Amino acid sequence: MTLNEDQWKILKAVLDAETPLNLNQLVDLTGLDMPLVSATIQWGQESGWLDVAENQREELVPAEEAKELLGSGLPERRALSLLAETGRMPMKDVAAKAQELDIPMHEIIKWGSARGWFEKDKGELVLTETGKTAMQTLDADENAMNIAIARGGVYLDDLADLDIDVERVKKLLGTRALVAKIKPRTIRIVHLNETGTSILRSKDIRIVKERNTLTSEDISSGEWRNIRLRHYDVTLAAESVAPAKIHLMQKIIQETRTAFLEMGFEEIVSPIVESAFWDFDALFQPQDHPARDMQDTFYLTRPAEARLPDAEIVERVKRTHEDGGDTGSTGWGYTWSEARARQTVLRTHTTASTIRAVQANPRPPRKVFCVGKVFRNESLSYKHLPEFHQVDGIIIDENGSLATLLGTLKEFYRKMGFEKVRFKPDFFPYTEPSAEISVYMESKNAWIEFGGSGLFRPEVTRPLGCHVPVLAWGLGLERLAMLRYGLKDIRELYWSDIDKIKEVPLCQ
Amino acid sequence: MPIVAISAARLNQLLGQDFDMDILVHGLQQLGCDVEDTATLALFKCPACDTPNDKLAHEEPPKRCEFCGHESQEPFEQFATDEVIRLDLLADRPDLFDPGGLSRALKGYLELESGLSEFTVGDSGIEVHVDPIMSNAGTYRPFIVCAVLDIPPLDHNSLREIMRLQEHLHWGIGRDRKLASIGVYDLDTIVGPITYSVVDPESFQFCPLGMPGVQMTPNEILEKHPKGVGYKHLMEQYVKYPILLDAKNLVLSMPPIINSDETKCKIGTKRLFIDVTGLSKDSVIDSLVTLVSALVELGGHVQTVRMNYPDGPQDTPDLTPGTIDISYEDAKKWLGLPFDRDDFMTYLRKMRLNVTPKGDLFAVSYPAFRTDIRHEVDVFEDLAIGFGYENIEPAVVKTLTIGQARPEEKQSKMIRDAMIGLGFTEIMSLLLQSVERHFSKFNLELDAHHVIVENPKTIEQKVVRNHMMTGIMETFNKNRRKAVPQKIFEIGNVIHLDKQAETGTAEYRHLAFAIIGPDTGYAEGRMIMDAILHELKWNGSYAAADHPAFTKGRSAEITNNEGLWALLGEIHPQVLNNFGLAFPIVYGELRLMQVI
Repeated sequence: MTLNEDQWKILKAVLDAETPLNLNQLVDLTGLDMPLVSATIQWGQESGWLDVAENQREELVPAEEAKELLGSGLPERRALSLLAETGRMPMKDVAAKAQELDIPMHEIIKWGSARGWFEKDKGELVLTETGKTAMQTLDADENAMNIAIARGGVYLDDLADLDIDVERVKKLLGTRALVAKIKPRTIRIVHLNETGTSILRSKDIRIVKERNTLTSEDISSGEWRNIRLRHYDVTLAAESVAPAKIHLMQKIIQETRTAFLEMGFEEIVSPIVESAFWDFDALFQPQDHPARDMQDTFYLTRPAEARLPDAEIVERVKRTHEDGGDTGSTGWGYTWSEARARQTVLRTHTTASTIRAVQANPRPPRKVFCVGKVFRNESLSYKHLPEFHQVDGIIIDENGSLATLLGTLKEFYRKMGFEKVRFKPDFFPYTEPSAEISVYMESKNAWIEFGGSGLFRPEVTRPLGCHVPVLAWGLGLERLAMLRYGLKDIRELYWSDIDKIKEVPLCQ
Repeated sequence: MPIVAISAARLNQLLGQDFDMDILVHGLQQLGCDVEDTATLALFKCPACDTPNDKLAHEEPPKRCEFCGHESQEPFEQFATDEVIRLDLLADRPDLFDPGGLSRALKGYLELESGLSEFTVGDSGIEVHVDPIMSNAGTYRPFIVCAVLDIPPLDHNSLREIMRLQEHLHWGIGRDRKLASIGVYDLDTIVGPITYSVVDPESFQFCPLGMPGVQMTPNEILEKHPKGVGYKHLMEQYVKYPILLDAKNLVLSMPPIINSDETKCKIGTKRLFIDVTGLSKDSVIDSLVTLVSALVELGGHVQTVRMNYPDGPQDTPDLTPGTIDISYEDAKKWLGLPFDRDDFMTYLRKMRLNVTPKGDLFAVSYPAFRTDIRHEVDVFEDLAIGFGYENIEPAVVKTLTIGQARPEEKQSKMIRDAMIGLGFTEIMSLLLQSVERHFSKFNLELDAHHVIVENPKTIEQKVVRNHMMTGIMETFNKNRRKAVPQKIFEIGNVIHLDKQAETGTAEYRHLAFAIIGPDTGYAEGRMIMDAILHELKWNGSYAAADHPAFTKGRSAEITNNEGLWALLGEIHPQVLNNFGLAFPIVYGELRLMQVI
């Protein structure tokens, strides 16, 4: 039989006791704490060594203020001295005196009457014979309280042994919570039975050390063999902790990049400070188009101008705007300004990147994408940020068509976590035909418009030397983040609440 | 973008059949309309003009008439409800702004009618003389076109429809009346010929719309009449103001501000005179043909007006369909859809276009208002819509391509993983900053090397960041009530001016990290900086720096002869105060790579 040191200490105390002990006595004797003693006794009981008798008793437990109260005298006792000389006094005088001495009047009346010390008579408070006697002697409950205070509590049956009138104590203190409470207690008395006695007396008992942790020395010296590690309640909750983590928005960006890379797309970049040429003109946006207004686009004071690409490309773009050039289009029919094309802007979409890629290498097959910051001249609100992330993808392919665009989009959105996707016609300035994408969101039980797509117009691709279909699409990533994380306010993404970043699970 | 409520009952009336709401909504969506939702409108009668004003069922009843401007103490009385489809208007398709245009498209989609909408154009016999002064370079509104329409007598609903469409065309084509503005009049109040000329803003007088019997000069109108106040800015550059007068010198309108009260349309009006004036020839023509084509769908008969321009007469409106030759093979390839030549023609007719074979090609005629058709691909789009986007079987491009990530992204991912491994949490902040937050609070000054935004809506977006400190400090500020220490980092781009570069700027990928807490300091920062440099296999030498954002004697610049640049130091207590922070901060910033 193996016991740990504490178990042995407790059981040994039981074994050595001349009369059966209760748990409190075991605590006092062993110096161990109650939960440990109690658990050990229960274990011994379950092992069939011990019998535990339960004894119901009542304990007088002093209130926190009891010592002070008794020390200065209970209110009714203090009132005794007020009446000591005259034996009676008008109630209002008693009240005035009581107030002066800070003695609660209602306590005087209530408890003084209960004890039979005072009587009311014609508006006066009268000291009774019992009251007079009481001035010399303490009442039963007062005696009891003095013992209880001294011992930190006393059982009522022990008081009976001291000739204190327990019934009077109960009557006077049973409902006086300011002074004390009488609490029912179950006293467990431990009896060692024959089985227990013979086992504990036998030589088979092995005492081991029990610990919460092993020291490095315990482990390396082999001492751990003599140590038993305490068992834990493995079901208990722990304090919460969250790892340092990637930002919510960054995670969406990285997922988006991964989706494109897995689909065989090459990643590209282009400048954030962009020329109006690449942001608008190359995309066949007429120079008086409202999207180019100062209202919507950030223009720059510094740098004020960008360089344009080769004169030949510029000329072709100019002619396409003016009369369609050789693209088969009628063009917009206005005089195109090179100066306006040189203006610098903060790019308004990442299509500026993909269109640069078309010009840089128009030979199919190519698939490229760009994730980056784009800018709109709007004030910060719950719905709008002046800067946000966009992703744009294009496919330059001989066999590109509306059907293959929609097929590619379906795959792309599936990779982004949307199984159900549908399309409807839409109108964008630089694609024809165009399709708006809606995804089904399980959590909202709704179709959400989420991204635009189309085939670049020939007016866009041909001046840049590309003569095959270019499939293009783009979407805003903050919107995806808001849907994903259930945010109502777009600014929450950039408030960078450290706790929030840590709390949101990586797996969404 | 404006949202317009289209009555389902009105659409069905025009379609001549009773379609369910769902069928109408689905049809409109498949035609490309942006259906916001369906709703029930409550209709309220204006006590002054009887015109129905509508509100969404949950909105407050109106007290002011949106048509005549009448205001009453008591809310108007509700007399009916109407089931509507609410559409976000598409700027590119003004022909789909109103019940007339939408019913025309739906008739095709629902296969009630096909091909071009048929109508005849008569001659009104009305002439308009355009004063040569109107085309003086840079002055006045040089362009004007007109039309006459015989219509079923106007009632409250049709009057309201026309006014709404006029308003939306002002938005969609007219750039809020600047490029084009429309006037609609009761022709029976007017005696031809009509003159388009100018008047003096001070001496001339007439009664503006809504103020019968009140004579006002043009300038008084700009100062006092609500429409005058609203559109005054369009007249700023004029010395004299444009005016339309009839043969008896009765004012029709002062474009683009206001009509006269005498010539206004009213209940029972059955002949409309319409003018569109403006700064853009295309816009005035587009506005007129779109408007009259819509009115034709509502039962109107168009008649031309003889316009006597300084360079010769011309009859308007010209509703001759446009034509474009398109290739069946090109269309099939562009769309990748399984249709044959017969389907091809059917789909186009369904989209209210006419199509006839023309050698190897097909000649497609499209209505005059379809100014969005500039290229054969625009017709391809109609073809795809006629085919039905919902019927498209998606396929994927079969060509193999190799995926490739950008080098700075690969490197950033590695550094991000390392920083998270070191217990730092990632933050993200904005590139646009105010001068105060980006420079002043760090004891820095905006100098000639910084990108500056010309037209930000607020000062919060005046400069583009060229260092990463602002985002870090703002984040600490936002988290200042939370337990310290806090460790954060950001990886992002900063932008510097670069005269050699194509767009005048260079972009760099930077790492910034920082720790705030009672016990942090330079030594802890140095450990982190060294760890990151080690991971990058970069070597650099530390030299004391003199940076105004850092405590003197406690900052370093780390460089080597291969272009390494990094900064490390304890943030100056004054800067801590500027950001409302009460614990020391050690901050490091490292240039990872040039991106552009």
